[in-house]
Amino acid sequence: MVKEVNVRAVVVQGLSILLLCAIIELGAGFALEGMKEYIIGLVPGLIVMVPPLLDLRGNINGALASRLGTALHTGVIEPRLAMTAELKANIISSLVLSFTASATIGLLSYAICILTGAKTIGVLSLLTIVLIAGFASGLILATLTVSVAVISYVRGLDPDNITSPTMATVGDFITIACIYAAVLLVG
Amino acid sequence: MQLCSWWGDHLVVYSVRKIVLESYPVLPVCAIISLLAGYLLNANIEEIGKIPLVLVMVPPINGIGGNIGSILGARLASALHMGTVEPRIRGQRVLSGNIKATVLMSIGVFSIISAAFFVIAYIRGATPVDSIELMSVFLIAGVMLVPIIVLSTVALAFVSFARGLDPDNVVIPIVTSIIDVSGVTCLLIAIKIIGL
Repeated sequence: MVKEVNVRAVVVQGLSILLLCAIIELGAGFALEGMKEYIIGLVPGLIVMVPPLLDLRGNINGALASRLGTALHTGVIEPRLAMTAELKANIISSLVLSFTASATIGLLSYAICILTGAKTIGVLSLLTIVLIAGFASGLILATLTVSVAVISYVRGLDPDNITSPTMATVGDFITIACIYAAVLLVG
Repeated sequence: MQLCSWWGDHLVVYSVRKIVLESYPVLPVCAIISLLAGYLLNANIEEIGKIPLVLVMVPPINGIGGNIGSILGARLASALHMGTVEPRIRGQRVLSGNIKATVLMSIGVFSIISAAFFVIAYIRGATPVDSIELMSVFLIAGVMLVPIIVLSTVALAFVSFARGLDPDNVVIPIVTSIIDVSGVTCLLIAIKIIGL
């Protein structure tokens, strides 16, 4: 058991991943700026739930990443890409949270639109979009989170340094893509 | 509520029920804190919008801040579960090592991204003085954010662990939401300090 922190290793790993994420984040800042008009024009009411959905995704995956880091360090989960009972419990709980919390956010967004008198599509269409987007992105991101955690651990990196930042950044892109796909599906 | 069962071999045993019950109440709270950040941004949009590039600084400062908090949070959670950090302040070598590493990498990443903002501003046609002022806004805001990140992450990890919750489930969501609010606030304060 490590009783000493290798400050150098933490700073080197953390700094490289932070810089990479910051550059992607800058790109996302410019990109979201450009797409905003399109989202507002296409589906009224949808823009209200984009920031909370992005946050939610980051939070659920951040917690999953954090638990996986602990589980790999304590040896509860073996660093192999095999479905064990512990891994299954971690992934299923993330998916359950994705589903229930997405539904909550869909309902809250609808309520906010009604209360503030903003234009919005029907509650059922809004819920369908948010549930499809929430579940699809949840599934993709849970798979990616497990892969990043296990692969970084196998390569001798600390998953605590790598997984959460990487997934927070990648997650924003995948969630926005899933919202788009859900909007196209629902029409 | 006891979240992890400690078996003979120090095994953390996960159950879907426990993770969901512990995480679900946290998520709406975080959504409300994030809404506050959106409201703060909306209320100050005139002030922020009239200075070019400051709006572009919002996602990176919140993103970087959240990532730093997530790294420290995940590391502390692992250390608490393994017993290398105990939920108290004094005489903790692993804790102080983690804080030192966090402060160093924060200063590193905020300095480099500030320099990037200098370059972006200069390329977009700002005068060297204006570019330096914009760079300073990001750097000052970032440096102000560091103690907020460290204090809130350590406090949340310790309090949640001491109360029998799994810090893995609660620290990252709450810390990233707090940083969404603080990041925007620090940018506003930095604008005032530089006098833009």
